[in-house]
Amino acid sequence: MTTDRPIIQTRGLTKVFGSNGTAVHALRGIDLTVQRGEFVALMGPSGSGKSTLMAIVGCLDSPTSGTYDLDGVPVQGLSGAALARVRNEKLGFVFQTYNLLPRASIARNVELPLLYAGIGRKERRQRALELLEQVGIVEKANALPAQLSGGQRQRVAIARALANRPALLLADEPTGALDSKTGEEVLGLFKELHRRGNSVVLVTHDPHIASFAERRVELRDGLVVEPDAQAA
Amino acid sequence: MKGTGAFRERLVEAWVEIRENLGRSSLQAIGVVLGVASVLGGFSISDSQRRRSDERWTKLGGMDRLVVQQATAVKDGTPTALEAANLGLRGDDREEAEFLDARAIEGATQEKVARGRVRSPYADQDRQVRGIDGDYLPLNGYSIESGRSFSAQERAEGRPVALLGAEARATFFPTGEVIGQTIRVGDIPVVVVGTLEEKVFRWRESDPNWFAWRNRVILLPSVLVARRMNGDRWNRVERVSFRIRDLSVMKTFGEGLETLLRGNHRQQGDFRIDDVAARVRRQQDQGQIYNLIFMLSGVLSLLGGGLVNVNIQMAALKDRVREVGVKMAIGASGGEVFKGFMTEALVLTGLGSLVGLLGGVAFSWAITSLLRIPLFLQPMSFAWALLLAGAFGFVFALYPAWKASRLSPMEALRYE
Repeated sequence: MTTDRPIIQTRGLTKVFGSNGTAVHALRGIDLTVQRGEFVALMGPSGSGKSTLMAIVGCLDSPTSGTYDLDGVPVQGLSGAALARVRNEKLGFVFQTYNLLPRASIARNVELPLLYAGIGRKERRQRALELLEQVGIVEKANALPAQLSGGQRQRVAIARALANRPALLLADEPTGALDSKTGEEVLGLFKELHRRGNSVVLVTHDPHIASFAERRVELRDGLVVEPDAQAA
Repeated sequence: MKGTGAFRERLVEAWVEIRENLGRSSLQAIGVVLGVASVLGGFSISDSQRRRSDERWTKLGGMDRLVVQQATAVKDGTPTALEAANLGLRGDDREEAEFLDARAIEGATQEKVARGRVRSPYADQDRQVRGIDGDYLPLNGYSIESGRSFSAQERAEGRPVALLGAEARATFFPTGEVIGQTIRVGDIPVVVVGTLEEKVFRWRESDPNWFAWRNRVILLPSVLVARRMNGDRWNRVERVSFRIRDLSVMKTFGEGLETLLRGNHRQQGDFRIDDVAARVRRQQDQGQIYNLIFMLSGVLSLLGGGLVNVNIQMAALKDRVREVGVKMAIGASGGEVFKGFMTEALVLTGLGSLVGLLGGVAFSWAITSLLRIPLFLQPMSFAWALLLAGAFGFVFALYPAWKASRLSPMEALRYE
């Protein structure tokens, strides 16, 4: 693994929903490169295609055309199981609404990606506790998500995203459901993760939140509108 | 995933899901409970009846017997010359039958019946006495309670000795020692050398003893009865019985015996061969029909329950689409999601089966108590009930699990 290899590299990515008369062109040809260790904010108004781009970058959806290399490996054409492995090993997701499993304890929520990675029970538990320690919430390890505040839940989600030491952290409006003070704390956590060398892509429509990133990429109508913001 | 306790995790997750959705889970399990209870209950009731029937046959001397009896050759009208000249069942028939296939026969006996006054110091009654030889006692399920059986010499020479059934002993010697005492059968003084154990069988506990008549027997050597009470020069007998070593040769031996007897009896059907095992098998075959009906009702319950299950699971899946999406986003493959849903359905089937087994036992206990017969639970009935429930549970879980595993992670995450 070389350090100068981009973590994300897309060429001519398009995404069309529907067909013929009802076709919606969500992405119209995205060329985007994100270097390893970068903290990038993906910005744009509602309907600009940023969530669609995030889904494709997160291997949750596939493009209609174009190419996408994640950590130097082309992911288009991979099977469902292979994509699941990529999501498990290389990506960590943080969602706006946390998306924790409501009936699983905090520790178990964090353990899940490790379970899917085939890591043994003892090691899973140990790693989950370490991660919860890192995000400052280890004392709630056995609580259920409903017993936590929004900020605490988002910290759990971040711990879960970091479980398999992913190459890339993807955060979709991670402070959208939080009050401004808690939001700042969470963003501070992302900044800290970036400082430690993690690559982070943050989707937001809020310029203030985007200001925490070191680079901003703006989308409008399915196209990147600030080419000078791209490093590639 | 490798062997990392993933199965255990799936079990825990399934258990939590079931516990948290108890109402839905209970509804899902009802079909399994009813199906298992129906199959197990039905089979157990049927088995209990069959076992009772087997006990009866065992007490009657076992099922591996061929019994030849006199039968009326003349149905109606005047007998033909051949019919009139026929001699009926004879001792010679038995001896020749033993040559048919000596290796197949484990035991044989013949019975010669007479009637007369039987007297002791305590009673004086008109009674039937039965002349026996060979293996009469084991062939009829009797065993000696006190004293001894007839010796070979006593049987061969027709010595005046007797064995008394339990009722006969109580009637003719209500008190004191009976062995060595003398009774008079007609004019013949006969020494009692043994008594027989009491034969008791009640289909239901409240029934009178079905075998009371078998305790009335007074047994004498058949040679004695033939020579001094009811004999003739053709050595005619009332009944001949064979015990067949191997049930698989019963049919062949029976056919050979019938051909032999028809030849001996001038082609007249004045005898009846009773293949006890075949009779029992016929009864059991009828029992199998009930088993099939019970199984069918169980299968229908499982089928109905399974279809309800699919519907409930599909509805439940809608509540869990987002959860599936989250799992997929953090690395669960479609296969892992499939296994998760299958585990949950199978755990539910397992729990439903356990409740069904308890229900089945309770149901069969209630019915057998009502019939007043002992409950007999066979491991095979449990196995069948579990096998059917497992098979149906598995098949009906496939579709919802497959649907869940085919969800697009993106659409699942966006699902509201």
